[in-house]
Amino acid sequence: MSLELTNHILGRSQSLAAARTFFAERGLLEVDCGALVPFPPLDSNIDVMSVSSGPNQTAYLHTSPEYAMKRLLAAGSPDIYFLGHVYRKGELGYRHSPEFTMAEWYRIGISFADMIEETGQFITHFTGPLPTRILPYRDAFTLYAGVNYSDDSPLALLSAAKRHAIDLPENAQNWSRDTLLHLLLTHVVEPKLGQNEMTIITDFPPYEAALACVVEKKGEIVAERFEIYIQGLELANGYHELSDPQELRRRFAEKNLARIEEGKEPYAIDEKFLASLESGNFPDSCGVSVGFDRVLMLRYKLATIQETLYFPRN
Amino acid sequence: MGSVSTNEIKVGMKVEVDREPYEIVGNEFVKPGKGQAFNRIKLKNLASGRVVEKTYKSGEKLDLADVEEAQMRFLYKESDGAVFMDEKTFDQITISDDLLGNNSQWLMEEVPYRIVFYKGAPIEVQPPTFLEMTIVDTAPGVRGDTASGRVMKPALTETGAKVQVPIFVEQGEKIKVDTRTSEYVSRVN
Repeated sequence: MSLELTNHILGRSQSLAAARTFFAERGLLEVDCGALVPFPPLDSNIDVMSVSSGPNQTAYLHTSPEYAMKRLLAAGSPDIYFLGHVYRKGELGYRHSPEFTMAEWYRIGISFADMIEETGQFITHFTGPLPTRILPYRDAFTLYAGVNYSDDSPLALLSAAKRHAIDLPENAQNWSRDTLLHLLLTHVVEPKLGQNEMTIITDFPPYEAALACVVEKKGEIVAERFEIYIQGLELANGYHELSDPQELRRRFAEKNLARIEEGKEPYAIDEKFLASLESGNFPDSCGVSVGFDRVLMLRYKLATIQETLYFPRN
Repeated sequence: MGSVSTNEIKVGMKVEVDREPYEIVGNEFVKPGKGQAFNRIKLKNLASGRVVEKTYKSGEKLDLADVEEAQMRFLYKESDGAVFMDEKTFDQITISDDLLGNNSQWLMEEVPYRIVFYKGAPIEVQPPTFLEMTIVDTAPGVRGDTASGRVMKPALTETGAKVQVPIFVEQGEKIKVDTRTSEYVSRVN
């Protein structure tokens, strides 16, 4: 046998089996969403791989099975999970691979807090137990980057970046607030998260709601979205799912505008997905996706995502 | 010169940042799942050798630097520099003592040196990693002084370099030297 069956290569098989057992024990049904989809999932910062699916026909490799799974929920499915591959164009690095394994699941009628709890259970099922800390998005930026994310000017965010010794090109003066906040998030805040604990970021700003509901909390509008970090590694992204098709359509238009501003192609809207919400049959639910390869990185103490793969990309 | 996107950047490429030439020595992709992607690019200043890390938005373009390399033979010393000749074009240039710096101790006639040009002007001279040269001055070795292993003594080579050599190496002998570390490698027969 030419392939060396090291711990983590066998471990991938064992971990996939353990994940399926985790979901089965909780009564979730596995769904087999196809990777080839007619409409690309719409996000301003996620680029989709397009493929030629026939003469003059273009299809896309899904970046997550979210729309398909929500259509299943609207069609009356019980709690469901997906464990399989998703694809993101141009994402390759220590923590990114253009094809990666995602565990995504939906729970009908569950509370946002219980969804966070269950996601933590899933992750620590592989990493071992860890204390958890809930940290609102606002507090993470105040605590670690020393900025007020909603009030500080782009100039103030830029000087915070300089204070944290981030060297930027001259044109960074023209970067948007969004870009500067993501810069501080990736370079300053994230490395501090999940040190000897599992850090759960919640209460995202409304413009970071993605497909999550927004609520008023302590006089502030925040998104019911959470992310889980261990050792600076972003592992999970979950929502109390937005079921309002009009609001979703508005957000899609916004995402496309952002894409155009960045010189990227806009994506067509998946009308079948929106129609499934318009039916009014989409249940109140929470959903989450977990980067499974990153969980394996932690489980097997690997420095890069490529080392979790049978055949690493360079 | 053209430009190159952060997504296409490879280690070894030469780019121009703030009007100075750099070599790419690292490129790390950083991105929050739902957020803006960045590239943390490690750059080595070709003139100073200093390494810096800069963060760009993914997809942004960097200017390629007008950097060229040539293999040139050392011809002779002048009052304030050294004259080299391009192996292919036979063009001759004078490289100042300032730019030569420590490398002036490795100048040997007919040896090809790697010379890096930025916008047509030389910015770096690199001797071959290993050079063979004759010892012109060293104290005679004292027998019986080898008990403590490899005992070294100072020696002066024909190029003016000071190298530590084993005590058995005598004046007039040819040795191989590592120009990166000024270390003796072996005797040459």
